[in-house]
Amino acid sequence: MNQDFSQPQRQSVTGIIIMTGNMLQELIRAFIIPILLMIYKTDYKQMMVFVIIVGAILLVSLLLGYLNYRRFTFFLDEAKQEFVINKGIFKRIQLTIQLDKIQQVNINQSLLQKVIGIYSLHIDTAGTDGKEVSLKAIDEQSAYRLKEKLLNHKPNLQAHETENPVAPAPVLPLLKISAGTLFKVGLTSNYGRSLALLIGFAFAAFHNIKELLKAFDTDNGQVESVLEKGITAFSVSLLIVLVLFILLATNIIRTFVKYFDFQISKQNGSLLMASGLFSRNHTLLSPKKVQITAYSQNYFQQKLNFMNLTLRQAHAGKEQSEKELHKSNLEVPGCNVAEKDALLQLILGKTPPQGQVFIPNFRFLNLPIFFNLVIPVGIYLLLASHIRQLWSFYPLAIAYFVLGILMIYISYTKHRLSVSEDFIVKQKGIWDISNEIIFSHKIQSITTFQFPWHKSVDVGHLHLHTAAGMIRFKYGNYTEIKQLVNYWLYQLESGSEEWM
Amino acid sequence: MLHFANETIDLDQLPKYEETKLNAPHASYWRVILINLLICLLLLSGALAMLFFLNQEIRPYLVPMGIAYLLVWILLFVLYRASFKKRGFALREKDIMYKSGIIAETTTIIPLNRIQHVALEEGLFSRMYGLATLQLFTAGGQSGHMHIAGIPIAKARVIKEALVKRLDLIENPAIEAQ
Repeated sequence: MNQDFSQPQRQSVTGIIIMTGNMLQELIRAFIIPILLMIYKTDYKQMMVFVIIVGAILLVSLLLGYLNYRRFTFFLDEAKQEFVINKGIFKRIQLTIQLDKIQQVNINQSLLQKVIGIYSLHIDTAGTDGKEVSLKAIDEQSAYRLKEKLLNHKPNLQAHETENPVAPAPVLPLLKISAGTLFKVGLTSNYGRSLALLIGFAFAAFHNIKELLKAFDTDNGQVESVLEKGITAFSVSLLIVLVLFILLATNIIRTFVKYFDFQISKQNGSLLMASGLFSRNHTLLSPKKVQITAYSQNYFQQKLNFMNLTLRQAHAGKEQSEKELHKSNLEVPGCNVAEKDALLQLILGKTPPQGQVFIPNFRFLNLPIFFNLVIPVGIYLLLASHIRQLWSFYPLAIAYFVLGILMIYISYTKHRLSVSEDFIVKQKGIWDISNEIIFSHKIQSITTFQFPWHKSVDVGHLHLHTAAGMIRFKYGNYTEIKQLVNYWLYQLESGSEEWM
Repeated sequence: MLHFANETIDLDQLPKYEETKLNAPHASYWRVILINLLICLLLLSGALAMLFFLNQEIRPYLVPMGIAYLLVWILLFVLYRASFKKRGFALREKDIMYKSGIIAETTTIIPLNRIQHVALEEGLFSRMYGLATLQLFTAGGQSGHMHIAGIPIAKARVIKEALVKRLDLIENPAIEAQ
């Protein structure tokens, strides 16, 4: 492969296999039900027809894969500082990416790619158009070379050319996360995500089995009856224990699959992160493109002495799908205080000093208490006064009220804004206490607002818009907020620091 | 960084954004707001009338509901009028500011060196009165954008040109410096 990427070129020839594989996967996904039906309904004679159809699908995907491979070319236009991709079987598509809009370049390897020995390379852009670009088949050396080229795009012919940038230079990792720490992480974080995953899986399984039975005209509610039997057979408490166990197990497995052998190392001023059990995920990012640096810790994690770190990058201000959001947020699961400080040092240039702390007014409590506690409990009391049976649930209502008050009060005591010369740190949370750190020069715009009835008590709100999301400070002293805003505006407008 | 370190800043000496004199939107923009509000309310009235026509049971409540509905109209007009009075924008040397809000008083400030691009929108009704909306976009996303409505078209064009030129000024030295 031409190593300077200046001429239009194709991907690795073995890429045909990957593209065929992808096509096959898509076709099968589209036709799975008819195929299953055919297997079920056809007799021996019609089997031939079936085999022919399968053969045709294979042939078509091979053809499409080949055409895809032929039509996909890419090159680097050094003069214009652009990376250009031509692709498309039926309609020609030309994608042009300006190199300075590139935010990060990821090199990944799926299982199939591992078998063939190639990598895929994914380019993330910060452009407002949010184009996504990936090369599906590229050999290891070219992948790293291209990555180097894309990220060090300044028209210079220095250092990198002579340095012989062979694959990932074996630098001593800054941070390695051991299996033990991952186990702790799995035990203590992201319950919500695992729960969502489990529920999604359960629903999908239930739905698919029903669909399948329906397709074979044999659905008489067996699934439901099996489920019902299962539930009555177990006592409810046992079921809860089981669910908790499955939840924790899922959590731990998920953490291991995603973050196995997590390493961070420094490479030419950028951070190289690598992790993953089955498919290894490499991400290179330059610290100055990080917009919000956040770390969070809950009670268990504090006892076990570790925290989670998230680096948020610009997401072009567009509403993004969960997946995209996930990509622009880089997570470092489980680092201890010293490691956190080292990482902050690397990303921010220094550890944020303890700044002046601003606390919200007690009116912070009013709305959450009213909407989350007074209204629901009020509705319960109203209903209970009409329906006798509901009275027996009153301990639950009391527990809900007390717990609610406690949670809202904690969220009030944790809602803090700390401001120092260059940094703004926002703390929040109830169980997971998070700290979001931004440079004041990474603010894009500022909004302040006040309700008329708060004028006399001098209470107002502040929103700081950054390229990676909003920072909110609610129910602050409005005079102080205005003073802060004037100070930040002064910094933003007199300084010339780039936000990206 | 270096030129920053030794400066003592007297926070009280900094220019105060909250004391900036604002330019009110053009007087005829009130009519545009009224037209929009009326269209909304007429559609709602139509829907409610249909409901009363189709549903026999709620007919007896026609009078009290009608009064409540009228009160909502009046309240909306008062709120919009008050918010119109408070509305305003200011173009300062280094930033642009816009104050608005129906109930809450919201002030948004965008430093000129953080503007990504500028657009001019002429709505159907606004155009009838020779008004336009100036839209400023930042990298801060939906909520960080600024839409300044009710500026006379000629003036809006001038501001837009000025901002665009200003953007070039900011961007060019940066490019040369690289």
